[in-house]
Amino acid sequence: MRNIKARDIIFIVLIILAVVVLALPTLLGSLGPLPPTNIRSIAINYLNATYNQLNPGLWTSSPEAVAAIVWDYRGLDTLFETAVFYSAIIAALVLYRDILGEKDVLKGRGLSIVVQRATAISMVGILVVGAATILHGQLTPGGGFQGGAIAAVAPVIAIVVFSRFLIDRSRLSYKHLLLVRNIALACIALIPLVPIISLAIGYSQVFIFQNQVKAVSNFTFPQIIIDVPMGGTIWFFNLFEGLAVVSAFSLAVIVIFYSEDMSRKAIEGEDIGF
Amino acid sequence: MLTLADLVFIMLGISALVTIPATILAIISRDLIKAVIFSALQSTFYALMFYLLMAPDIVLVYIAVSIGFMSMILILLIKKVGRYEKY
Repeated sequence: MRNIKARDIIFIVLIILAVVVLALPTLLGSLGPLPPTNIRSIAINYLNATYNQLNPGLWTSSPEAVAAIVWDYRGLDTLFETAVFYSAIIAALVLYRDILGEKDVLKGRGLSIVVQRATAISMVGILVVGAATILHGQLTPGGGFQGGAIAAVAPVIAIVVFSRFLIDRSRLSYKHLLLVRNIALACIALIPLVPIISLAIGYSQVFIFQNQVKAVSNFTFPQIIIDVPMGGTIWFFNLFEGLAVVSAFSLAVIVIFYSEDMSRKAIEGEDIGF
Repeated sequence: MLTLADLVFIMLGISALVTIPATILAIISRDLIKAVIFSALQSTFYALMFYLLMAPDIVLVYIAVSIGFMSMILILLIKKVGRYEKY
């Protein structure tokens, strides 16, 4: 910062220029009034349909329109998004295939007792916020992925604060996390097929990925329990997506946090070709 | 007369402007830990902008991933490659 070069000045001027070029048309009203006062026709259709109790052939019983679109109207897209995330974590784990599930060689003791107790208390809060975001996904903004990402902060700070050694000895092991993740993903894959099972108990016509009643099908997932809209499949999808994301992020973090000695073991021999 | 919509727009502008020096500092800083902190600052204001643009779903995941996980992974990387940039 002491000797400012001409290059830096050009760089800063260019950035300011880019911002001005973007901001001026917006300020002069090229995008219309901000925030926009009119709603596009596709949005009107979605908002009219998602929680319209008078039109049960189209509704999703989820007051949260985003969750309704993500897991009901565009459910197949989200299923494949989940598949992409699943493959990405597998790819990250494969890099460490030689040492997966092993205990780390370090014998750390973590941070001081004050930090450990304070973290133990706040970790409960993090997990509760994550669980609330997951389980209220059909009522409030958020959902499976968001809540899962929030809850996955807990294992991260647990590894930093309580040390790797303690986490290795706890039940937050590689095997358990993998089990939770696989069960959750299997459930996500099976929920769209539940309507087919219902054919056996007397329903005449159902659709794969069906959530609420349709014009030609009586099959429906729970709509309202006591006085809470449940969103049918959306609640289940959110729950299992949340579990899958928490366990996947925890797995990734546990693998990334291996000490230098262990990580080297994973890549040794690569320079000579095996 | 300042309406509520104008106020939202002004807050958007201010947070957008704050991200620019944060980004520049993140790029030119030789201390990589500081660069990560500036980058997290920039992400914080982006999260605020997403909130003002009425995208709470994005905010929830953006805060956790962009401020939490990104910084954590970068700090882990810096621990392995050294804190100060030399060139």
